[in-house]
Amino acid sequence: MTDLTVDINPLEVSQSSSGGLGINLVKELFRKRAAVVGAVMLGILVFIALFAPLISPYDPTEVLLSTEGVQPRESPCIHILGCDSEQPQHILGIDGNGRDVLSRIFYGARVSLTAGVAAVTFAVLVGVVVGLIAGFFGGWIDNVLMRLMDVLLAFPSLLLAIFIVTVFGRGLTNAVLAITVVTIPGYARVVRSSVLTVRESDFVKADRVLGVSTFRLLTRRILPNSLTPLVVQATLGIASAVLEIAALSFLGLGVQPPQAEWGSMLASERNQVFTAPHLVFFPGIAIMWNVLAFNLLGDGLRDAMDPRLNR
Amino acid sequence: MKSTKALLAILFALSFVAAACGGSDEAADGTADDSAVTDDSADDSSADDSSADDSSTDDGAAPSDFEGMSLAAESCDYGGELKSITAVDELTVQFELCFPDVAFESKVAFSAFGIHPSEVLEATGGTGTELLESPVGTGPYQVAQWERGNQLVYTANPNYWGEPANAETLVFRWSEESAQRLVELQSGQVDGIDNPGRDDFEVIAADSDLQLLEREGTNIFYVGFNNTFPPFDNEQVRQAMALGLDRQRLVDNFYPPGSKVADQFLPSSIFGYTPEPTWYDYDPEAAKELLAEAGYPDGFEVTVSYRNVVRSYLPDPATVATDIQAQMADIGVTLNIEEMESGAFLDASDAGELPMYLLGWGADYPDATNFLDFHFGIGASDQFGEKFSDITDLLSEAGQVVDADTRLDLYEQATEALKTHVPMIPVAHGGSGTAFRADVTNAQASPLGNEVFAVMDPGGRDTIVWMQNAEPISLYCADETDGESLRACEQVNESLLAYEVGGTAVQPALAETWSADDTGTIWTFNLRPGVTFHDGSAFDANDVVTTWSAQWDASSPLHTGRDGNFTYFNADFGAFLNAE
Repeated sequence: MTDLTVDINPLEVSQSSSGGLGINLVKELFRKRAAVVGAVMLGILVFIALFAPLISPYDPTEVLLSTEGVQPRESPCIHILGCDSEQPQHILGIDGNGRDVLSRIFYGARVSLTAGVAAVTFAVLVGVVVGLIAGFFGGWIDNVLMRLMDVLLAFPSLLLAIFIVTVFGRGLTNAVLAITVVTIPGYARVVRSSVLTVRESDFVKADRVLGVSTFRLLTRRILPNSLTPLVVQATLGIASAVLEIAALSFLGLGVQPPQAEWGSMLASERNQVFTAPHLVFFPGIAIMWNVLAFNLLGDGLRDAMDPRLNR
Repeated sequence: MKSTKALLAILFALSFVAAACGGSDEAADGTADDSAVTDDSADDSSADDSSADDSSTDDGAAPSDFEGMSLAAESCDYGGELKSITAVDELTVQFELCFPDVAFESKVAFSAFGIHPSEVLEATGGTGTELLESPVGTGPYQVAQWERGNQLVYTANPNYWGEPANAETLVFRWSEESAQRLVELQSGQVDGIDNPGRDDFEVIAADSDLQLLEREGTNIFYVGFNNTFPPFDNEQVRQAMALGLDRQRLVDNFYPPGSKVADQFLPSSIFGYTPEPTWYDYDPEAAKELLAEAGYPDGFEVTVSYRNVVRSYLPDPATVATDIQAQMADIGVTLNIEEMESGAFLDASDAGELPMYLLGWGADYPDATNFLDFHFGIGASDQFGEKFSDITDLLSEAGQVVDADTRLDLYEQATEALKTHVPMIPVAHGGSGTAFRADVTNAQASPLGNEVFAVMDPGGRDTIVWMQNAEPISLYCADETDGESLRACEQVNESLLAYEVGGTAVQPALAETWSADDTGTIWTFNLRPGVTFHDGSAFDANDVVTTWSAQWDASSPLHTGRDGNFTYFNADFGAFLNAE
């Protein structure tokens, strides 16, 4: 019997204990001020999204023209800032259809977060499977899968998303599907790249020699050790996905009226940029907030998870 | 049928011979002439206007070897209004109608019937890029270049028969964003814009560098239903939706000053309007009851289509669509809003492919026939599905009666029938306007939407830049219905008659004089001598016959166009000849 001496990969050591990894990661993360800001911003967004029905002053689709006698595109009315107390309070004003903008922005957070996370989740699931298979098996399987990914990457992502939504029809579900499809190659390539490195590691070689099944190798050894860049990529990917969902909705291909979504709110009031700027300002701020939150958090995660950046 | 085909064959054979001989220019210079000239019509023309005859004589262009074309229906059984079109001589065209048409002059003046050179129509086969994007006409401007998606550039016609254009170059640009249009105007990038946004009226009026010209609401915005799609095949459903739509709310909140709630399809300034009957009052409870009675107690779900293109009748399409969606939700009807590209939307609605849609109409000429016959007459498109025979009968009769009171009575009955059948809900007559830089003189906001740029002087500059809502679909307006296309065509192609600048009265254009016989069925047009097309060819009666025949005769090889619908011709004149 051959005496196997296995060099333990530092990555393997650092991730061998999931509890340790989690604590270390959080500690590292909270050392980064930008990441903390990102986490807090995201926390606020998640809170708004979760409790939108409780904290929104109005139903986001309720037209107040007849009931409250408001005019379309009224400026914000805040009582403590001197707005006539007899007027109904609308902190961010009224949109072109006579709906409360604040309520629509709160509900829009639900759509943006859900759609962004859903798109990235689906894309990661597919991308991981593709990347794992391509990276681990190599050869013609790798060639076929990666060339398919190259084909998808050859098109500008938004253009491809527009094509997909045009073919399958407008709506949030198809917009999420479109964003999923266009982002799969990114995750597949990241995973494949990690797998190519990890599969040559000694501990993987050892497992092979010991007769560990391919499935177990992939799921217990290679995948966990390929996750670091994927987590960072996925976090940053949510920011991109949110932007792309907003872009599709802006073009009228994503969320359909009367549902509240920040991109469609921007689109419907873009002509009022000079006469009622608050109607494009606040949805724009909301999109920026969301993207910034995920970007700061993603950057922080990348720094926290990459030991080389700590030196 | 056989005689018609024979006539057609002769017509085209003659055209080819003429073309082979060098076109009508050369033909006009020939000498021998033994072609038949209708003495009666010649007498008519001389009686009506001696100047036409004088001009002919002075011009030395008296009929020589001119071979007049003609096209005639065997009988009027084919269902249309035209019986024949004849080039009596080089400068005389005669139309024979199956029945009198009080609006015939107004129809003839419309830009869908702009005259093209017969040689060009034949060479292009009545379609193709050359005709659709760079038509040849007689107008004050000629097309220089159309950069699709960017701009349409015209140059002044140096040989124009009338007053030459003030500005050497005319540029059409477009943006569906009213904010962009206003910014371009304020920054001096354009000299005039169409349809300022609802909230921009005050801004423009307060700016001393700009001038605001308000346009009368001679238009109608309506919610259309196609009765071949369930549940709109049920009249009660359509009536319920009429009851459930608060039109006052739409006008109060989404329309600019000068707009009115529509009591009926016709605006009050158009002949044919009658104060009664008025439309259903808003009553959502009654709407729900009627829906339940119709078998939809829980409402239903349907798609409503629209195009996001600003028109004077619909200044804020997406917002209005969303409000209609909200109002219908109140009576239990779920509307899924579908935004379509403008051309595709119009084609689909004309073809009867849309169950419910938001559309409108701006006056082409000030007569009920332009509104009611086009939409609900015997020759109307399939946009509302199956036609209502009581309405078509009333409209056909009203279009043939000369007595104004009798016509009004018939239109009142037709309006009552429209209220009963509810093929559409008339919503608003939208006020709109144009805005120009303050130094542009003779600027207009035409009630018909046909601004004439040749008479405008852009403060002494050689280029006048106009920005409208959308890009023209094509410049062969025989086969277009879109206002943005029609305006672009009107700068290039002229009809026999025209509407006064900034008004609606009919005046001479390519025809100097015209007259009808006592029966109102024979119309003789005496053409303006010495007119040439942009390509240098001479304008004559055969150009008129060829242009009209290409639209009228469905079996003609020239009856092709952009999509071959020729919607205006069919709607205005009832039916195509030789249609299958």
